[in-house]
Amino acid sequence: MGKLKLGIPRALLYYFYYPFWEKLFSELDIELIVSNYTSREQLDKGIKYSISEICVPIKVYIGHVLDLINQGVDYVYIPRIISIKKNIFLCPKFLGLPDMIKNSIPEIENKILTHQITAKDDSLAGFKNYLGMADKLNISKWKLFWALQKANSHWQEHRKTQLQVNIDKKVLTIALIGYVYNIYDRFINMDLLRHLREMGINIVTFEMVDSQIIEQEVKLFPKPMFWEFTNKLLGAGYHFLKSPDIDGIIYVSAFGCGPDSILGSFLEIDANQANKPFMTLRIDEQTGESHLLTRIEAFVDLLKLKKS
Amino acid sequence: MGNIYLGVDIGSVSINIVAIDEENRILFKLYTRNSGQPVELVKDGIQQLRIKLNNKIKIDGVGVTGSGRQLVGYILGADIVKNEITAHAMATTYFYPETGTIFEIGGQDSKLIIVKDGIATDFAMNTVCAAGTGSFLDHQAERLGIPIEEFGDLALQAKRDVRIAGRCTVFAESDMISKQQYGFTKSEIIKGLCRALVRNYMNNLVRNRNLQGKYIFQGGVAANLGIKAAFAEEVGEKIIIPEHYNVMGAIGIAQLAKAEIKKTGKNTSFKGFNITKDSFETTSFNCEGCANSCEVIKVQANGQTIAMTGDRCGKWSDQINHKKREQQETGS
Ligand code: SF4
Ligand code: SF4
Repeated sequence: MGKLKLGIPRALLYYFYYPFWEKLFSELDIELIVSNYTSREQLDKGIKYSISEICVPIKVYIGHVLDLINQGVDYVYIPRIISIKKNIFLCPKFLGLPDMIKNSIPEIENKILTHQITAKDDSLAGFKNYLGMADKLNISKWKLFWALQKANSHWQEHRKTQLQVNIDKKVLTIALIGYVYNIYDRFINMDLLRHLREMGINIVTFEMVDSQIIEQEVKLFPKPMFWEFTNKLLGAGYHFLKSPDIDGIIYVSAFGCGPDSILGSFLEIDANQANKPFMTLRIDEQTGESHLLTRIEAFVDLLKLKKS
Repeated sequence: MGNIYLGVDIGSVSINIVAIDEENRILFKLYTRNSGQPVELVKDGIQQLRIKLNNKIKIDGVGVTGSGRQLVGYILGADIVKNEITAHAMATTYFYPETGTIFEIGGQDSKLIIVKDGIATDFAMNTVCAAGTGSFLDHQAERLGIPIEEFGDLALQAKRDVRIAGRCTVFAESDMISKQQYGFTKSEIIKGLCRALVRNYMNNLVRNRNLQGKYIFQGGVAANLGIKAAFAEEVGEKIIIPEHYNVMGAIGIAQLAKAEIKKTGKNTSFKGFNITKDSFETTSFNCEGCANSCEVIKVQANGQTIAMTGDRCGKWSDQINHKKREQQETGS
């Protein structure tokens, strides 16, 4: 029997946890197939299979799942990540992700490889979370244990490299606040990062902020958000608001995202108070690229004038 | 004659061209409806400019702004191609250094620019919702059978206030009809519509911002006295309409072109008045390179491809840019 082919959708937390999954599954002798980059065709399919009220990132995810099925994978890996911090959960969409996929694409029910993850920190390596899955795939506990260890240290290393940023104070630095799946999906954000880089802008994101700093900021809130990634953005956002090195903040928000509407209002009001230039870019299914360019160009012009 | 700078604003509803001199005096100004043939309109406008200035001119700098700026920028050989927010802010702060807030409402979009000490510090744009733009008024004027030019003046004749739900054009319409049935006059209804538009503008663009005077209102819709009055009522202060309210973007981009030429010390890259004789052709095709199947737009001048846009990956536009760079380097 050849290696098991496991598909990973290039969407949602792929952009945060891929190094972990890559190492884990290669250690488990499983062949990983990552879905193709988001494209018009893929998104259109995702939209077709989704309920219309759902947030755009989930529609994108569904498009990626379909893409993997098309590529003939044995399973698509869709973990149910419940929590990565004590008493704080992920957005409900993550909690119900496997069910939502089953519901949207009933044909693939037996192609979903899922298990529950409850962790106390960002690391997904908790052994117990994987036991059921290892059983199903006939993987020994011993092998699983070591694979998780290696994957974890690989991922921790990766996170450390993300933290090393040098801010060149001579050029403009913009902090991008948004979920990883909106910031790094080039299709969905119309290549925002490239456009900014072409304008000579330094970019910083929440992954570049030490998690201790983020937590301190979150603690200043009388009541944190209920959802972990939203908390991370909140903490990083307030940190950026206070950092003199950050010339402006662009908040990238997904159309149809519940948590975003709360986070966005908080940041917008306080950016105003802190006198920090702030702009919201809303990502939906069909914003025109020229509109996006106009807005970021105007924002950058404004920051340049302010800095000079 | 001194130096002359050209500013061109390619909006979706209108195309505006101005020429300014070294002292920012307006030598020429043209406001035309965009009939969907921007290139022809620009050629025609430039021809008019030449005639107005008796052929005796040399252009020293060209700037292009507006949603169609890229394409026309290529065709004219613009020295600077910039977004309309920056262009508008430039012109307004020049004429009114004490500007605090700029309301700009055009046919298809609306903008808000916040200015502090002569520098734009914040802005907002609306291009998705028609209920805060000129097309909302056009539409309702048509329904009421009133020429849009008389619309604003009629609003000022209203004796009573009536609230029209203006959240969305569809609601506004049905609400308007029912209010008419209640016996409100046309001018009262119109006043209600003007206020609905301004309310929308406030909700969508201003939101929780703190506005400061002076208040400048510009863009095509600024000719509408009813809207002006509604804004004045909303902010409780005088609203200023600039003399050149409908071509402020073009003026701003001409000023930016001037600044750019001064800064770089370069000669203009303007292609010259002869472009009015060139034939331009814009075609589009679907790239089959990947699953994005982008609609790529190709612009040709006399059979030569001068620009390609619309590709998400740069596969097509990079080729052209690359060629241009090579030409510049070899000086040809
Ligand atoms: S946080 Fe927002 S964008 Fe992300 S999955 Fe939840 S609703 Fe969707
Ligand atoms: S232009 Fe590029 S992104 Fe668009 S379809 Fe062709 S190859 Fe794909």
